[in-house]
Amino acid sequence: MKANEFPQMAVQLGKLKLKNPVMTASGTFGYGEEYAEYVDLNRLGAIVVKGLSLKPRLGNPPPRIMETASGMLNAVGLQNIGVDAFIAEKLPYLRKYDVAVIANIYGETYAEYQKVARKLNSAKGVHALEVNVSCPNVKKGGLSFGSDPKIAAEVTRKVKEETDLPVIVKLTPNVTDIALIAAAVEKAGADAISLINTLTGMSVDIKKRAPHLKNITGGLSGPAIKPIALRMVWQVVKRVSIPVIGIGGIMNAEDALEFLILGAKAVQIGTANFINPHATLDVIDGIKNYLFDNQIKDINEIICTFKS
Amino acid sequence: MKKNIYIGEILKNEEIQNDYFLMKVALNNSFAEPQPGQFVMIRIAGLSEPFLGRPISVYSFSRGKSFCTMELLYRVVGRGTKIMAGLIKNSQVEIHGPLGTPFAIFPAKEKIVFIAGGIGVAPLSLLAHHLCKNVCYDKSQMTFYLGAQTAEAIIGLDRLKKLCYDIHIYTDDGTLGGKSLVTQAFQKDIKKYQPENTVIYACGPNGMLSVLAKMLKSKKYNCQVSLEERMACGTGACMGCAVAIRDNNGALAYKRVCSDGPVFNLQEVIWE
Repeated sequence: MKANEFPQMAVQLGKLKLKNPVMTASGTFGYGEEYAEYVDLNRLGAIVVKGLSLKPRLGNPPPRIMETASGMLNAVGLQNIGVDAFIAEKLPYLRKYDVAVIANIYGETYAEYQKVARKLNSAKGVHALEVNVSCPNVKKGGLSFGSDPKIAAEVTRKVKEETDLPVIVKLTPNVTDIALIAAAVEKAGADAISLINTLTGMSVDIKKRAPHLKNITGGLSGPAIKPIALRMVWQVVKRVSIPVIGIGGIMNAEDALEFLILGAKAVQIGTANFINPHATLDVIDGIKNYLFDNQIKDINEIICTFKS
Repeated sequence: MKKNIYIGEILKNEEIQNDYFLMKVALNNSFAEPQPGQFVMIRIAGLSEPFLGRPISVYSFSRGKSFCTMELLYRVVGRGTKIMAGLIKNSQVEIHGPLGTPFAIFPAKEKIVFIAGGIGVAPLSLLAHHLCKNVCYDKSQMTFYLGAQTAEAIIGLDRLKKLCYDIHIYTDDGTLGGKSLVTQAFQKDIKKYQPENTVIYACGPNGMLSVLAKMLKSKKYNCQVSLEERMACGTGACMGCAVAIRDNNGALAYKRVCSDGPVFNLQEVIWE
């Protein structure tokens, strides 16, 4: 490969074409605006926005976060401005950029998921939906929808009824057999699967003999969970034929490549954004360098090349 | 893009009093000038642990010919600050900032009252410096109430003496200054300050600030407080550093200490 030839980075996730496989993970990049002074949003594969519910959500009382070994716990509780305010106030800003916008959606009932999906379906500038059936920090919906294959499939079907947009279902790792859930949502019509959301965890304040988080439990993210995420992506890739998006503790290009080699068509960068606001761009540039150094012309030549 | 993470080089990192450290960092001159009340997220460059940056308010800032220097005054309270305290001269740190909404300045107010508890002196000291230098307040217009549990926790006094004429020191145990809570001491003097021509700036433990909130509840003082909370991103994205406030309709809402704050109006905060 000549020095002036750049590796081809575009990937196709069903109907959804991305200029590169690097997205932001929901809840770690706000509505995009928060990072626009750090990152040229046009360079991203996609922006997955903070989870949207039908009505604005207050979120959980503080403290909401706690640092852990190679990661952190959070129990934000899906604080968000609601789908209507997102469409009115945040989408116009995102439309200025040449970047795929993926709206992460959440509901407490099937009907709520459907209403949010319907509103976003007719909103200009949304390229796909990511259905959150995996938030561990809310009392209703969230995780409880994602831990039962029948219910996860039903949410998927209900959302599909309301939208022509590609539907990605985001899975929770807090289950016995994630591949079983993946297969169920694929059968129900999911266009893609993203995994993993956070792992439920705890941290104890030994001075107060009390939890560090007001919510007691929280979701663990960061490099600590990467080996688990890799194992689960591998299990799911073997089981389904729809595109899989790998998430979990990706801090740099090497981490992202591990997921791509296993068979993920794309990746999401989450907690890394918090300590390095340029993490997404660093991963994109790092993957390009890897491909260039290895004389690989197209990112797709690396995807699903795992030898076991 | 405009914003970036800077690599700072430690010029000094000394324990000035038991558990209280002063870190002086050299930064590239393109680093934006921090406004009083703003903070930085600091991490040890290149290390993966501690994982998250630590939010520390800016104590002083000066721009030289070839680089700028920033001072951070901090107390060792946990794992992160303990590791920070061990950093030696020439170590490199990642500095993200300046971040957050600074104190609002009201040049028309005749009297400035500062109320600080312990390490809360740091942002107020920068503010006092700014008001003297850039807003042309006279020393005689600024009164500083500084309190702590004990003499060892009264810090930053030398610098304050250069900035303010009228400094009142209190300790809970009477080992330095008057034996009183700083809030009680202020209450005794409160009639000296007319709400319409006074602005109060406060920073300290939540216990101190909640007492102050009760004290000033029915009074019409403009009081701004700088809050602390654990943070992950520092930029408003993660929603981790929530503080409960009353919104314009009187309903409970959570704001972000990192980006909506760290400076809030005392009376909008809901103190448990």
